[in-house]
Amino acid sequence: MEFGKFLAAPEYKVTIVTYRDIFQSAVMEGSRFSEEYLKLSAVIRMDAGDIKKLGVKEGDTAVVRNDSGKVIVRVGSSGYDASHQGIAYMPNSPWSNVLLSADTGGSGVPRYKGIEAVVSSAKGESVTGVDGFLENTMKH
Amino acid sequence: MVTLLNENYHVCTGCALLCDDIEVVTGSGRITEVKTACRKGVARMKGCSEPMSPTVDGQEVDIDNAIGAAAGILSNARSPLVFGLGNSTNMAQKKAIELAKRIGAVIDDTSSFCQGPTLEAIFNENIRSTTLDDVRNKADVIVYWGADASNSHPRHFSKYSYFPRGQERQRGWEEDRIMITIDIRRSHTAKISGDKFYQIPLQADAEFIDALIDALSGKVPKVSFGFDIKRILELANILKKARFGTIFVGLGLVYSIDNMDPVVKLMDKLNEMSNFHLIPMVGHYNMRGFNQNLFNETGYLNRVKFEKGDSTDVQHGAEFSIVETLNNKAADAALVIGSDPLSSLPRVIAEHLLNIPVITIDPCETFTSRKAKVTIPSALSGVECGGSAIRMDGVEVKFEPIIETNRPPDEEILTRIMEAL
Repeated sequence: MEFGKFLAAPEYKVTIVTYRDIFQSAVMEGSRFSEEYLKLSAVIRMDAGDIKKLGVKEGDTAVVRNDSGKVIVRVGSSGYDASHQGIAYMPNSPWSNVLLSADTGGSGVPRYKGIEAVVSSAKGESVTGVDGFLENTMKH
Repeated sequence: MVTLLNENYHVCTGCALLCDDIEVVTGSGRITEVKTACRKGVARMKGCSEPMSPTVDGQEVDIDNAIGAAAGILSNARSPLVFGLGNSTNMAQKKAIELAKRIGAVIDDTSSFCQGPTLEAIFNENIRSTTLDDVRNKADVIVYWGADASNSHPRHFSKYSYFPRGQERQRGWEEDRIMITIDIRRSHTAKISGDKFYQIPLQADAEFIDALIDALSGKVPKVSFGFDIKRILELANILKKARFGTIFVGLGLVYSIDNMDPVVKLMDKLNEMSNFHLIPMVGHYNMRGFNQNLFNETGYLNRVKFEKGDSTDVQHGAEFSIVETLNNKAADAALVIGSDPLSSLPRVIAEHLLNIPVITIDPCETFTSRKAKVTIPSALSGVECGGSAIRMDGVEVKFEPIIETNRPPDEEILTRIMEAL
């Protein structure tokens, strides 16, 4: 893993909120293993200003990581007019779930709508593929 | 109980709205066209492109062998986990509860990490609920709170809440209804609400509820974040004047509060001065059915542990949630029915499923099934098998199979596993 490359890129702290997307949900009904499901799931939607700060463009790949795990996804704009600096959105999917902490404070409810993570450019890297989820561990 | 309005209508099991006006075209043993349903419903009813096969250790076997292997795993397990069932009929759920009792299992479903608290408050009559039919006929004020129905339940507005010309709402959305959205982002649902969208910061729901209760009580509301106080007063005024109000609660609100107390307090306040109801935006088509069936049996709607050989010994608590059960590595085998925990749970927690024998019962391949020791294909309910389910508002909906299959329904598979134990 060329980790040094990621460390050299600007890092940006975000709180990730997961959400439902009807197009992604519909594709999941057909196949969870399809390219289309990956395309609609492996994305982080950010504030336009935050994307600039990261030094990436929409469609570029970014690594999103925290103590729980790491995924490479595409960067997209949230499209919201109101600024939401530091808040990013990911469709609820195996990709966002890699970033969820095992610590629920004993409540049994993971923080699906408040994941603390760090984003940095992964230019040239491929999005984490479905095969990754079938490995025995994704902890890095 | 819902009665279908037309004999050609079918029920969609794509979500807990259980739309009952679906027409289909069939051909070559498949549904080739689905009319009226939303995008997700169409996809559900047409079926998946990766149907599951009966397997043991990755090798294809006949279904009897798969059922035998499943029974063997469950017989040998000291602390089995039964999970899922949100996509199963009421009868299959009752059978799974019976099986869990017999083998002394922990039994849980997705409500454990989504709408469980809301349903619990309704079942215990701490919050007043209503039916979607009453919403259609009577509701003049509709609130989507932390819910984006445009994406989770696309026909919610047109079939029940905002657009229909109900019995007492003949002028529909143009004059007779007000739709409010409270959310942290301008979702597609918020866009429909127009200027009745109230955008609040992340995790600020409890504080906003307090401010709203103050406004309803005639006090000057205060919030620690930038928000035009006049707008809170305006919102309180609309809610106060409602003749039939309904709050649709989504996960945005559920995940933002530690418990349901703020919501109960708000509902109590609203019902001192107007007429308010609450309905949870349940996702899986029969998750509420599972909660109701388990509640009827045990007094708890999820997170239950049965003691083997003693049907009266029922334990309940967060430690019996699927999340904590896997986190504590407390299960030594898992039976997963119509669910994909490897996909929907935090990965670090779900990884425990890779270390224990897992049995999946599902019509389609899932992340979990690809790593399971035993897979048993089942009929897709609502399409390949009939039964009944409980809609998000608690109303029972019956459905008949539309096409034939040689894959058995969940209920039959569970019965056969029990026979083979």
